[in-house]
Amino acid sequence: MKSLFGRRSVIVTVVIAAALILSGCSKSVNDSAGEAAGDCGSYAIAMHAWGGYTASAQVVAEIAKKELGCTITQTTLDEGPTTYDAMEAGTIDVIIEDWGGGRWKDWTDRGAVVEAGENGNIGIIGMYVAPWMVEKYPDITDSKNLNKYATMFKTADSGGKGAWFEGPAGYTTIGEKMVSANKLNFKVIFSGSEAALVDGFIKAEANKTPFIGYAWQPWTLHSKLPTLEAARVKFPANDWSDPAKASGLTDYPSTPLIKLISKKLNDANDPFASLVKNFKWTNADQNGVAADLEGGMTAEAAAQKWIDAHADIVKSWLGK
Amino acid sequence: MKVRKSYLLLGSVTIWILLGRLLHGKNTLQIDTYENTSFTSFVGQKALDLRGNRTESSAFIYFFNPIRGAIDGFVQVIRNLIAVPAPNSVIPIIGWFGVVGIIAFVVFATSQWRTALLSVSLLLACGALGMWQFTMDSIAMTLASVLLSLAIGIPLGIWAGLSDRVLKIVTPFLDLAQILPTLVYMAPIALVFMIGAASATIATMIYSIPIAIRITSHAIRNLNQSPVEASQSMGSTQKQTLTKVQIPMAKQMIVLGINQTVMAAVSFVVIAALIGAPGLGKPVIEALIIRNVGQGFVAGFAVVFLAILLDRSTSAAAKRQDSFIPPTQKQIKTKRIILIITGILAVVSVFMSRTMLWAAVWPKDVTIAPQVAKTTNNATAWILENLTIFTVGFKDLISYSVLNPLESQLSASPWYVTVAMIVALALIIGGTRTAILAFVLAMAIVLSGLWYEAMLTLTQTIVGCLLTMIIGLALGIWTGRNDRAERVLRPFLDAGQTLPAFVYLVPMLGLFGPTRFTAIATGIVYAIPVVVKIVCEGIRAVPHSLVEAATAAGSTTRQIITKVQLPAAKKTILLATNQGLIYVLAVVVIGGFVGAGGLGYLVIVGNSKPELQGKGLIAGAAILLLGVIFDRIMQAGARRSS
Repeated sequence: MKSLFGRRSVIVTVVIAAALILSGCSKSVNDSAGEAAGDCGSYAIAMHAWGGYTASAQVVAEIAKKELGCTITQTTLDEGPTTYDAMEAGTIDVIIEDWGGGRWKDWTDRGAVVEAGENGNIGIIGMYVAPWMVEKYPDITDSKNLNKYATMFKTADSGGKGAWFEGPAGYTTIGEKMVSANKLNFKVIFSGSEAALVDGFIKAEANKTPFIGYAWQPWTLHSKLPTLEAARVKFPANDWSDPAKASGLTDYPSTPLIKLISKKLNDANDPFASLVKNFKWTNADQNGVAADLEGGMTAEAAAQKWIDAHADIVKSWLGK
Repeated sequence: MKVRKSYLLLGSVTIWILLGRLLHGKNTLQIDTYENTSFTSFVGQKALDLRGNRTESSAFIYFFNPIRGAIDGFVQVIRNLIAVPAPNSVIPIIGWFGVVGIIAFVVFATSQWRTALLSVSLLLACGALGMWQFTMDSIAMTLASVLLSLAIGIPLGIWAGLSDRVLKIVTPFLDLAQILPTLVYMAPIALVFMIGAASATIATMIYSIPIAIRITSHAIRNLNQSPVEASQSMGSTQKQTLTKVQIPMAKQMIVLGINQTVMAAVSFVVIAALIGAPGLGKPVIEALIIRNVGQGFVAGFAVVFLAILLDRSTSAAAKRQDSFIPPTQKQIKTKRIILIITGILAVVSVFMSRTMLWAAVWPKDVTIAPQVAKTTNNATAWILENLTIFTVGFKDLISYSVLNPLESQLSASPWYVTVAMIVALALIIGGTRTAILAFVLAMAIVLSGLWYEAMLTLTQTIVGCLLTMIIGLALGIWTGRNDRAERVLRPFLDAGQTLPAFVYLVPMLGLFGPTRFTAIATGIVYAIPVVVKIVCEGIRAVPHSLVEAATAAGSTTRQIITKVQLPAAKKTILLATNQGLIYVLAVVVIGGFVGAGGLGYLVIVGNSKPELQGKGLIAGAAILLLGVIFDRIMQAGARRSS
């Protein structure tokens, strides 16, 4: 028995060694395939947690692959420091949309990450009620009237007050300050993810139940709830850009969204770098692609559809 | 003695409730989420400095960065071999056909043809789900972390098996690593080793090494001592005894340890994607992001298939028993010839996967992914449409009747009242030493400044554990008493243990909305399989003579369960409760993603907002402290009850 086991290990070892040697020496199929290699290298784009981001990133990725012949990896990562670290480590080269309002300063200061201009999208953040409520309670969109309706928003989780669904973890949020500064009878519930907010808004609209939550533009939810923008609760105009200094009395400011690239890509200064630097489109562009995505199209197909329809813009990004 | 204990418990709970009511809302230590304490901002500043230093400090240049580089390189080699295009190439070194051939051969050689057939079908199923490359990436990551874990774990385990001193030193670390919720230590690791395959591998190793150490040392310790003594008395050196007697004898058990190490590594596949690991975790997390339940399940199934594949092939190797009748010369020869033939076939398959395109790249048209996604999406939609009324009702019922009162008791009472209560519980259940430990750990949470959030998480964990135990005990007793039930339920339990919690987080969100209960429900689903399995084994371990005696005396089934089987299995049930608590805690913190708040949310927010980073790191530590307090009290209780 012992000898059998011994022989067995010998055979296994020999086979694996043979397979490995074979895979090392034999001529492989791709040697003849001969991929058209452009002068574009291989880069990684960070993929962040929202539909609009996917739309922008996929369009850039498709153009880079098809027009420039780049090898593009798309890596799903948490936004913010996680990704800046990855850029510093050299595993990520592009963030196509960052809402962070300068939270990357530590990284840009030491040259690990480089700002690559605005991407043309304007971020609007605010608190929105479920759209059906606007029709029934027209004055609800004035922040002064919120307390009047607070009890309607009560849930099992909100401790007798109205439930105020705050934005996802990485987003700029000052809900706690808004509630306390405006003396609102609401309890802040940290919804934690985009999925949780989408779920909240859609169910509230379908079942005609009260809901107030954090929402933003551009966002795919607007294509499902076209009247959402009208359901924005208006606070006095904003007086801050740094969340730490916000009083909480006023609304969120609108934010031009920023592109960030790695030092490596910035130094390379190749066609892909200039594509990323030139990339700029509107909220409507992004919402269109994102809506196709949400409708079940694959990211590649949705991006390609937009690229085919906007050849001129793509050309200008490529500097042709 | 026993009666006095329960009176004491009842008494202290009553005092606690009264004091909580009396001092409601005082000294709750609640601070706003965006606020830092001086301690958390200090930790945050240190973390920021650490980030800035990574390119300059010598600890990084000479220690962390080389480790990162070495592990990254190691993983990359394996990935190039089977998963991603090798340098200067468009395909991996071995294409899909070759991988299938090699795995089939290795499994056949180490166990038997049936397992090999199963492995091949599972691999092909992963491919048909459209997940071939992700699966290969996951195999590469698992392989890398398992190899490294074993390279460290087995020698350490042997050492701990030989020396009592070493065992004593490593045991607390092993305990700690097994309580540690995975979400917690990923942030600190990513801080030092950055996002990417290296961090993911190290995080996986932290999870799987303790298992390798534990089982190896156990294997060495529990050997039949007479051959060891014989070897020593014949004058063998310690080294000879170890290599010629102890290790060969412990071999089977050590292979079982390898199996368990592999399983631990596989269960990490999904969560590791959060810190940039390539593999099946990626599509699972992406599906969570775009709320595509179907796609999440497609990837989730691939994870389950991969887990079954690795489990069956490694455990079959461990179990393989040579028959008592020694094989004849002829049998040995036939077997050897078959092995050589299949070996040649494997080599041919590798050759084909390098020369023919169809064998190199998984054909895109061969896929059942859209159908699977559509079916699960439809099923989920149906469930959401028709069951939401019940689920929301149930959620509200539990929230108003259990969750809210308990949360108000824990989080709205002054901190000193609750700390005193925890210490009292520890004293009554576990004794003085446990009480001192509980006091120290609870005070550490208080001083960290995150007491309020810790109490929210504690509430959710307790409620989740209660519900888990109600369901788990019922199912455990049923399967423990009924072989058929066990056989029917077993595959579901196995799948439930390997299906990543992220996969059903989204359906849970659909059923219960962004609430605390979504986190609790996810925790329950995650914890039930392990509780059922432990309880089932406990019930089965009750001596038949006891049950028969009770039956003969005319007891009803109910009497047998409540008067004989449950009391006899008491210790096992306590251990099951302990496991249930730890499992629920590990998942409840993921609930921060779906509106559950508490410490889990702080960990998540700390990852994405630099100004709250310190708070997130401390929140992770606080989760660990909570886990240790639970674990120590329950373990002490279980020890005393025996």
